[in-house]
Amino acid sequence: MKKFFKTGSPYIWLTACALTVTLLMVGGLVALILINGLGVFWPHAITRLTLENGSVVMGEIIDREPIPRKENEFRTKLKVGNRDVYGLDFMWVENADIASREYPLHALAFERREWGNLYGYLKGLKADGDSKPLTPEELLHLVEEHHTLAERIQHIEKKVIGDISYRMEKYRIAMKRLTSKKPSIKIQEKIDALQAKIKDLEKTYQEKEDMLAGLYTKAMKDEIVVLLAGGEEVSAHIFNIIRVYAPNTMGTLDKLGLYLKKFWEFLSEEPREANTEGGVFPAIFGTIMMVFLMSIAVVPLGVLTAVYLKEYASNSLFARIVRISVSNLAGVPSIVFGIFGLGFFVYFVGGSIDTLFFSETLPAPTFGTGGIIWASLTLALLTVPVVVVATEEGLSSVPRSIQEGSLALGATKFETLWKVVLPQATPGILTGVILAIARAAGEVAPLMLTGVVKLAPSLPIDQHFPYIHLERKFMHLGFHIYDVGFQSPNVEAAMPMVYTTTLILLLIVLILNLTAIIIRNKLRKKYRTTSL
Amino acid sequence: MKSLKRRKFTDKTARWVITIGGVTTVFIVLALLLFILLEVYPLFKDAEVVKENSYSVHGNVSALGIDEYQEIAYAVYTNGSVEFISLSNGNVLKKYEIAGLTDTVPTEQEDYPTDDRHTVLPVFLLEERRNDDEGHINTPLHHTTVTSSYKDNNRLILGTDDGKIVTVSVAFTETFNSEKRTITPEISKEETQQIDEKGKEIKHITSRKDEGIATTVVSTADDRLVLKYTEEITTLFGTGEKTEFQKDITGFINQSRQNTIFEPGSPPSGTMKPESRIEITSLALDQFMENLFIGTVSGDLFHINIRDKESPFLQEKVKVSHTAITALGFILGDTSLVVGSLDGRVNVWMQVRDKLLPSGTVLKKIHTLKPHSAPVMAIVPSKRDKSFVTMASDGTIHLNHTTSEQTRLYLHSPSLPTAVAFSPRGNGILAADVSNNLTFWGISNPHPEATLKTLFGRVWYEGYEKPEFVWQSTGGTDDFEPKLSLVPLIFGTIKGTIYSMIIAVPIGIFAALYTSQFLHKAIKIIKPTIEIMAALPSVILGFLAGLWLAPLIEKIFPAIVIMPLFVVLFIALALYLWRSLPSRIKGKYRYGIEALILIPFIIGAIYVSVHLSTISEFILFGGDYREWLLHVLGLHYDQRNALIVGFAMGFAVIPLIFTISEDAMSNVPNSLTSASLALGATPWQTAVRVVVPTASPGIFSATMIGFGRAVGETMIVLMATGNTPIMDWNLFNGFRALSANIAVEVPEAPIGGTLYRVLFLSALLLFAITFIVNTVSEIIRQRMRKKYSKL
Repeated sequence: MKKFFKTGSPYIWLTACALTVTLLMVGGLVALILINGLGVFWPHAITRLTLENGSVVMGEIIDREPIPRKENEFRTKLKVGNRDVYGLDFMWVENADIASREYPLHALAFERREWGNLYGYLKGLKADGDSKPLTPEELLHLVEEHHTLAERIQHIEKKVIGDISYRMEKYRIAMKRLTSKKPSIKIQEKIDALQAKIKDLEKTYQEKEDMLAGLYTKAMKDEIVVLLAGGEEVSAHIFNIIRVYAPNTMGTLDKLGLYLKKFWEFLSEEPREANTEGGVFPAIFGTIMMVFLMSIAVVPLGVLTAVYLKEYASNSLFARIVRISVSNLAGVPSIVFGIFGLGFFVYFVGGSIDTLFFSETLPAPTFGTGGIIWASLTLALLTVPVVVVATEEGLSSVPRSIQEGSLALGATKFETLWKVVLPQATPGILTGVILAIARAAGEVAPLMLTGVVKLAPSLPIDQHFPYIHLERKFMHLGFHIYDVGFQSPNVEAAMPMVYTTTLILLLIVLILNLTAIIIRNKLRKKYRTTSL
Repeated sequence: MKSLKRRKFTDKTARWVITIGGVTTVFIVLALLLFILLEVYPLFKDAEVVKENSYSVHGNVSALGIDEYQEIAYAVYTNGSVEFISLSNGNVLKKYEIAGLTDTVPTEQEDYPTDDRHTVLPVFLLEERRNDDEGHINTPLHHTTVTSSYKDNNRLILGTDDGKIVTVSVAFTETFNSEKRTITPEISKEETQQIDEKGKEIKHITSRKDEGIATTVVSTADDRLVLKYTEEITTLFGTGEKTEFQKDITGFINQSRQNTIFEPGSPPSGTMKPESRIEITSLALDQFMENLFIGTVSGDLFHINIRDKESPFLQEKVKVSHTAITALGFILGDTSLVVGSLDGRVNVWMQVRDKLLPSGTVLKKIHTLKPHSAPVMAIVPSKRDKSFVTMASDGTIHLNHTTSEQTRLYLHSPSLPTAVAFSPRGNGILAADVSNNLTFWGISNPHPEATLKTLFGRVWYEGYEKPEFVWQSTGGTDDFEPKLSLVPLIFGTIKGTIYSMIIAVPIGIFAALYTSQFLHKAIKIIKPTIEIMAALPSVILGFLAGLWLAPLIEKIFPAIVIMPLFVVLFIALALYLWRSLPSRIKGKYRYGIEALILIPFIIGAIYVSVHLSTISEFILFGGDYREWLLHVLGLHYDQRNALIVGFAMGFAVIPLIFTISEDAMSNVPNSLTSASLALGATPWQTAVRVVVPTASPGIFSATMIGFGRAVGETMIVLMATGNTPIMDWNLFNGFRALSANIAVEVPEAPIGGTLYRVLFLSALLLFAITFIVNTVSEIIRQRMRKKYSKL
């Protein structure tokens, strides 16, 4: 044994243990997110539990765990839904208390716009204090009808009325600007014209509002009566129902179809219920637009710096200063960039833009508050080193011989750079950009100070001129995780959504990084072959 | 074909553009640093006078006041007239005569045309002037003279030479007319009361009023103390009910000389020998109308508790000065009392909790400020913060800040001063002097509370029993004082960093050593896997740490405690099994796959220890680990604690340390390792004695970079701790780090405010730490590169 220790083998095993732990951590983390994130939308069976004391509860079984400090006893976490009736979405049932389990075929799950899911049996359509019978097919038909109605209402609310108020706001600002000028007949005429326009708009606005009110009365007309597990009857507006399904009668394929549909909804729809339900589309959109703007800013800067360091700067003192700057920029904590972005971009630059160009809306800030442009610029500073390092590597991969060949043929240094070196180094630059995007997509702290919000009323791109609104606040996947997970009033109900959002963010970052690594490896291979 | 000239031009231009691009990076770093410095700099700037004006007035000023916008001042003259004076040109805007003080009977107002005020103003006849030690000017006139005054917000209480007090209220109403602000001063008389039946001169007054309840205490020329209490209750039916009484409380301070014991509420006798009387030099009553402080000529401070107005009692008598107390004044919040004395000293006293005393509190000196060289005449507190103005009889005026113990500004009145006022926004001081001049100083003093001492030292805040490091930036009340000590935050950063480094450094370096030296070539894919881990957004780690790991560890804490034991046991088991396997089965992967073999064993160890969690809790902790931690070790267990941060941040730092040190160790020249192996060293000996020392600069640099990352990491500490700024090394409670603090506090910090700048200062600290760390590791890395190129 002593001899065995002398070979050092046990110590090697110990160091191997460190690697194993690291691998397990990575694997465990990815597995955890995958399991929790992917499982969210799977339609679970509706279980009806009859308890020992005679009461009946119904819902989806979410979790099972041992009861702390009790041997071999378990409890079950049941999603009972019906938040409007029970107040809570979840409930723990001790397994010892369960007398029987059933999976009633007629049990339905109602996904609603408000108050979360509803689980129960369909009793009928509400009519004059009573209910008249309704078949599931009829209900589906009604739900379908209401969906078209909801789409119309949404169109009017978002598009039509939004458009009117946007134009009204424009006219008001124009009027304010005019009134601050020296009064003259010409200006008065213009003001009068504007006022007439605003009057007109107000009239159409009122018309649309009336129309909406009419639609809403129509929408609120139909109510269904649902029988809950405990025997209570509740009514629900059909208008509020997004989807009805009976998971206990569904086959795996049906479930898969529903699962994919729900996942797509998650990706493509707007959040509901204080971000705890619905989708994350604005967050995905915001993230993508932010990294896009950031790339526009960071690529020229990073590439120029790298080209300067690699091709123009000899090993001078200044080049060394640039190098130290780059490596320090890489080490500066992101929150420092955040507070710099807030002080410099938002308050200083944004504030100056406001006083110069948007003085009529002051003191309400236009650019002088957090916005997507400031967040992108802040992150551009943060990611400069990433682009510089990757581009430098890309430039190094271009063999000296090729450059010298180009120079020898009479090309200037710039021509060599532009026509020979840069095309060859493109994969390197691309790697840098991808890595920068991956970094920016996952960064949250600086964004919190420079323009991210939990719920943005409108996207930074819309149908109004100038179509791209750089001053708007935006939503971001990473911040969405933080906000919903830590600031939400109902964290327990929101947890599944957070896991799914995490999964999406993780996938984005991992795919970007993998792509970058693959490109880089190819580049390295090429570098090796060409340098031979 | 382009001409050569043009091509050359393009080449030159390109050179310039690219150079500028390179310069931009340097510029960004400099701009970052410079901007942060610029934001921090005003914190440490001295206060300065931005404006100085002087005007002449028409009489002896007894009291002064300024409106919020420093446009209009008022002066109360000893003869009982009041003038509103424009601070922009010194013109008299309005003049009032207060009935009962002047010859005219009703409160009367005269509006002066602003241009020819001199012709309208009446001339007062003054017989003589005398300065008493309080600085109030007693001018015996033919009619009643104002001998003392007290300002309680809008109320102005004037004492006369015939034992009366007159209460007036001064109001500045602002109206906005087409975005232009107009301020209209207004004065109205409330009442005149004969507070002293003997009709003696009122020497000192203090008075407070709050929602119909008013308490006034005066001292007379023959050093009697009179307390007057008025309570007006408006019933539901709108009828007012008025309770009013007054009593002579001189006895409390006179009896104390004979060391008699006081019965609360015992009526102080008015019979006293003139020779035994104590000369009262100043009075102060707090806004709660509970604590009355009386300064005397002997330097004794009497604290009379008048919570029950019917039965006050002497709570404490303290010798606060060797010379006479000449002025008393409360700091905003009315917890600290400023004591000014004849020798010019200015000290701040406070009632500090003391459980041993029956009263529960004891007066202690908590701050000492720069002394004047002459008797202190007046103390005027700020209405915004813990600043106050002191004025001495030689005309020196100091602007002080209590908590930071600094005198921010030294001013000098051109002639002997009579009254001083501090503007409501704390940005102006107005003083009147004996030559009937008003001097106004507009001052800029934006951050009086921030000094190196308050930011980094122990500070004795109001309500604390001793000087402490406290971070508490916002509070519920208006008179809340922000406590901005960065020490708890720096401590939090260090705590989080250390715990995460304890986890990350060994794992990262050992894993790197194994990967570079022993890992089988066929499974080198492990390296990029861990590299990708470095790109994991910290918000994901923070979320999992805060919402998944923290509750989990709370549930299975005993399992975490026994886990290392089982891991070691299972490794030993794995080793034993591996050794006993015949080498035929071991096959071609004889070495280098240990890490893979260990995976099931470590999972097994985790599984077993989690299963034994409940049992081990009974065996190790007697059934409840929280109780055990609290009672046996005295540690409090929070769900989100430093252990969780250690894990999560370790997770973030491990890939960094791993990647860089793995690179360093892989780059150790093959010739060295081969030589070592050829000389008969085992692979382990080679790794430890050859590879590690050679790569040590790289490993060190990796650790430093990991350290820099941990110091600046924001989201993980924000989400995985409770963010409580406490200073406690306890592994099981939370902390607040500098970085998370910025994220938490910035939304609450108004631009340009002290908190805003202090947050920039903490950003500067983070910048500086990471700058140093990175520069050092960069230098080391470059040296290492040189060393390798030689090998």
